[in-house]
Order: sequence, then C-alpha cells, then structure tokens
Amino acid sequence: MIEQFYIVYTLCAAVLACGFSVGVVGAAVRERRRTGRDARLRTEYLHTLMLALGGDGTQVPYFPLFGRFGSRRLLCEAVAGVVAITYGLNDGLLRRIVAHYRLDRRMLRQARRCRGYRRAQALAVLACLPADESVAAAVAPYLRSRNRYVRFHALAVQLSVDPSHALQRIGDYAYPLSASEVAELMALLRRGILPLAYGPLLETRSLNLRRVGLAIVRQFGIEEAEGRLLQFVADTAHPALGREALYALCSLRRSLLRREVAVFITEMDARERRALLRCMALEGYAPTTMQRLFEEAERPYYETLVQSYKRSLA
Amino acid sequence: MGIMRRILIVAEDAFARDVIRLSLAGLGAEVRCTTDCEGMRTLCRREAFDLVIVLQAASFLCGGNPVREVRPAGLRHPAVYVLSWQQAEQTVLSLLESGVDQYMTFPVNLQRLRRKVSDELGGRV
Repeated sequence: MIEQFYIVYTLCAAVLACGFSVGVVGAAVRERRRTGRDARLRTEYLHTLMLALGGDGTQVPYFPLFGRFGSRRLLCEAVAGVVAITYGLNDGLLRRIVAHYRLDRRMLRQARRCRGYRRAQALAVLACLPADESVAAAVAPYLRSRNRYVRFHALAVQLSVDPSHALQRIGDYAYPLSASEVAELMALLRRGILPLAYGPLLETRSLNLRRVGLAIVRQFGIEEAEGRLLQFVADTAHPALGREALYALCSLRRSLLRREVAVFITEMDARERRALLRCMALEGYAPTTMQRLFEEAERPYYETLVQSYKRSLA
Repeated sequence: MGIMRRILIVAEDAFARDVIRLSLAGLGAEVRCTTDCEGMRTLCRREAFDLVIVLQAASFLCGGNPVREVRPAGLRHPAVYVLSWQQAEQTVLSLLESGVDQYMTFPVNLQRLRRKVSDELGGRV
C-alpha cells in the first residue's frame, strides 16, 4: 500500500514538474517572440515617423498594425523618444499624429491605471508628447503624489504643455527639486521650453526657481552673477542653496578667497568639504587657494587628487 | 557619378542610433552602424569612412582616445562628430582638444546635424 502511494506521489510530482517546465519554456518562447515583434514594430514606426518628419509634413502617416496589442505603447515610445533627443521638429505634424492616434489619451489612461514607477514612466512619456491643455489639468492631481518621480514628471507634462507658464508652475511646485530634476529642466531649456533669463530667477523668493537660475548660471558660465552667488553663500537661512551657489562659483572659476566662502566652508561637515575639494580639483584651483580655506589635515587629500589621474574624473 | 561617401555611427542606444541614421537618409552616403568602440576600430581598419559620429562621450572619458585609433597619425580624416548629453565646458573642451571635429549636445536639431554632415561630406568631394 505504502509502495503504491509512493509511486503515485512520484508520478504526480513528475507530471507537475514537467508541466511547470513546459509552462516556463513556453512563456519564455512567447516572451522572446513578443520582444522580437515589438522591436520590429518599433523600428517600423520610427522609420515611418522619421520619413514623415523629413517630408513635407502635411499628411498624418499610416502606422502598420496599429491597434494590435502593445502597438499604441510602441508608437507612444517612438514619438516620445524622438522628441526627447531632438528639437526643432515639425511640431504641427507631431501634434496631428498624437491627436489622430490618441496617444496622449492612451498614456493618460496608463498613468491612471498604474501605480508608482510605472505611473512615473507613463507620465515621462506623456511629457514628451505634444499635448493640449486638458492633459495638463488631468495630471494636476499627480503633483501631490507621494512618489517624487510621479510628482516631477507630472510637472514636466505641465511644462511641456504650457511653456508660457513654466516659471509659475515651477515656482508653485511644493517640493524641493533635486539636482537630477534640475538637470532635466535644463534639458527642457535647451529644447526652448524654458526662458534663459537668469536674473529674475535668482531674485525670486521661490527656492526651486533660484535653483534653476543657478543651473543656468553654471551651464552658461554667466560671470556677471558672481555678486548674487556670494549673497546666496552668505545667506544662512538656506544652506543648501548656498552650497549650490558655491559650486556655481567653482564652475565659473571665480576667486574663492572671500569672507562669505570662508565662513560657509567652516560650517560644512566633513563629507561636504570633501565633495567641495573634489569640485575644486576638477575646476583646477591652485593648492594655495585650498590651503587658505581648508585645515591642515585636509590638504593631503586635495594634493593627492591634483597629482593623480583622478583629477579629470572627480 | 560622385563617389559614395561613408558614414559610421557608433552608439549603444539602438533607438538614438536609428534616429540619427534615418535623419541622414538621402544624403547619398552609405551609413554603417556599430554599438561600441571596439566595433568602430574594427570597421575603421576594414573600410575608409569619411565621417564617424559617436553618440557617447563615455568612450573618451575613460582614458582612451578613439579619435587617435580611427584616424591615422597626422591626418584629419575621417572627421569625428560626438553627440552626447555632456554639457560641462571642460568635457567639451577636452573632446575638442582630443581631435573631435564637432561636438553637439543632446537634444540635437536634426536639420542642423544633417546640414553639417552634408557640408562635411561635400567639402571632401
């Protein structure tokens, strides 16, 4: 009796194991086929889109197999991908494509259905699609999301939809922008969505707008802003902003032998001081400048950095 | 009949590579693609390209100099363009000093790129 039970048990286990293996292999094959099909379709869509953008731009192109499972997502990604790495494209044609194939509605629906990072990804794609005002209103609730990626990409959607109110929207954004988020905003600036005037940004009361202003100063090497940067460094109410202003001064390669800078550096912790030393080494500050700002114990770190190949990587 | 020009695009990102490749269509040049610097070296040894477009600055920042590897010593041929997200002045200067002929920051204007490539290839006729 026991032997029969063992035999039946072993047979059942073997059947289950075989079934499971066949299922796994089948899923892998199906996934590979789907990936291959997606890759082909994405290439096809990109090709069609680029042909249309390179042509006279009057007719909305026909995308083959549109409507099949996953094809809308692929077309959204193709359009968003092209917009993300280029500027000066035929905006009218892109708008007509998005409206004709209802790509913005599709990404909005996906953002509503998904949660967390998937929602952020849907919003990131949506931010690259030319959309209308209703989309900006639809993503407004996501500005209060607990997920910072969702919040930021919702803001990016609003900025791309309505560039004329970009500064107001950044100013109203209730959360501090991180360095990477400011870098993303700078990419928008290069695409012509944000204005380049740094002066009003540095004078505003909004910390986020000041950060964007500082990023513009750093990126374009605006030496005239030195006085304002020193004021930020001296302002003890916002040490984070002071730190960014100090880095901006380093990027401009201005003299750091100022009373405001010396006071600020004494209040920095060890980790921040090391980071600043790396930045100074990268920008090529002389060891004599460093010696007058830092303590004796910190000098060997800087000298090692300057003498090593790491200087160009720091 | 004109000489067929050859362009090589080096990019890990297949999407960006395709976008640049398709934007250069109709220039009357043969466009080849590869994914990394190793492929670029191999192809450049095998064929003479008129223009190499590299879509990443990373290969220049890790101690190597791809320009020296694809261009025989003392020559300005092939021309090397770099397109990258790097925007720091120092990085751009380093790239230009290492022999890069043209540096463009993403996002790029495809018409402008096409014009520059067309001028570059036209100047070699």
